[in-house]
Amino acid sequence: MTETHFDIAALKKIGMIQQKQKEYFAMRLHVVGGDLTSTQMKKVAEVAEKYGRGQLHLSTRQGVEIHFVHHGNLELARKELESVGVTMGACGPRIRIVVACPGELTCRWGIIETKAIVHDLDEKYFRQETPHKFKLSVTGCPHNCAKATENDIGVMGGLLPVWQRDACTDCGLCVNICPTGAIQKNGEYYVLNSAKCINCSICTSSCPMDAWTADKRGFILWLGGTMGKIPRLASRLPELIETKKRLYELIDRAIEYYRRNGRKKERFGHMIDRIGIEKVNEEILHGT
Amino acid sequence: MEHDIKTQLDLHGVVCPINFVKTKLALEELEPGEHLEIILDEGDAMLNVPRSLKEEGHRIVKVEPLGETFRVVVEKGSS
Repeated sequence: MTETHFDIAALKKIGMIQQKQKEYFAMRLHVVGGDLTSTQMKKVAEVAEKYGRGQLHLSTRQGVEIHFVHHGNLELARKELESVGVTMGACGPRIRIVVACPGELTCRWGIIETKAIVHDLDEKYFRQETPHKFKLSVTGCPHNCAKATENDIGVMGGLLPVWQRDACTDCGLCVNICPTGAIQKNGEYYVLNSAKCINCSICTSSCPMDAWTADKRGFILWLGGTMGKIPRLASRLPELIETKKRLYELIDRAIEYYRRNGRKKERFGHMIDRIGIEKVNEEILHGT
Repeated sequence: MEHDIKTQLDLHGVVCPINFVKTKLALEELEPGEHLEIILDEGDAMLNVPRSLKEEGHRIVKVEPLGETFRVVVEKGSS
């Protein structure tokens, strides 16, 4: 079989990436939020042995790739993987596999259910075309393990703490462990500087008297992060989003805005820098 | 308010979770309501030990910075 018998671009779209050894492909699998079952993992290993060289690669985005699959075996391998619900990933100028940390399901710091959100986002956006590659991440809290700030769109759980004077016994723990120094003691009062607060929950989780509690819980949206040749950390939308409906509305607007304004091969964050963050935020927050 | 300290434990340089284990062992020697003073490093130790103590029903009553460490006074819980 010659190269003309297969469509490189169409294969790339579904995560079958031609290696420099041109007859061979890397199969990038659709691993949403880094989750696979043990049955799926076994099948992936089996397929790698049967159709590849038993060589698997863990990508930087929680993905699994099977390397050295001969082009003549791609379809067979794909069908076998589908038998256990493992489908193909994505590559090229489109929305990539969404990554996530485990979130509040298992992590003591998790503020949001990352798994529910990652599946919603995957279902809605996966493989949709965009001006350039587009990466989303969902991270449970401002510890930021899933690197929301290094993705084109990052969703982060967060909470806004409030101090209850009656419960406080003045131990001073909060002032000493707040990572940004947002809590100060002013006379007999503990005061939160909301401009410094990163909504991380360290004060509410640690306070021995639960004098710091969550006034609001929700989502922080980070826009325009990217690594690559021209790295740029994401910019934070200045609000704590309190409902999933509003979160999804804002994500939708951000992606639509990028589709309308982003140039070919221009990452979302670089588009934001070209247009100006204030203007982009305004359009996303209040646009129609 | 100063607390009557029953035992002192310097956990400077002791990593998680050993610092918490040593704190627990020291608390086992105390009666409920008695106080233990520990020295904890900034960073992970201060992030983990106070919260773990809370989960075990003990109560931090005072925290003071001491250079790169903290002096933490813990009151043994009743459970």
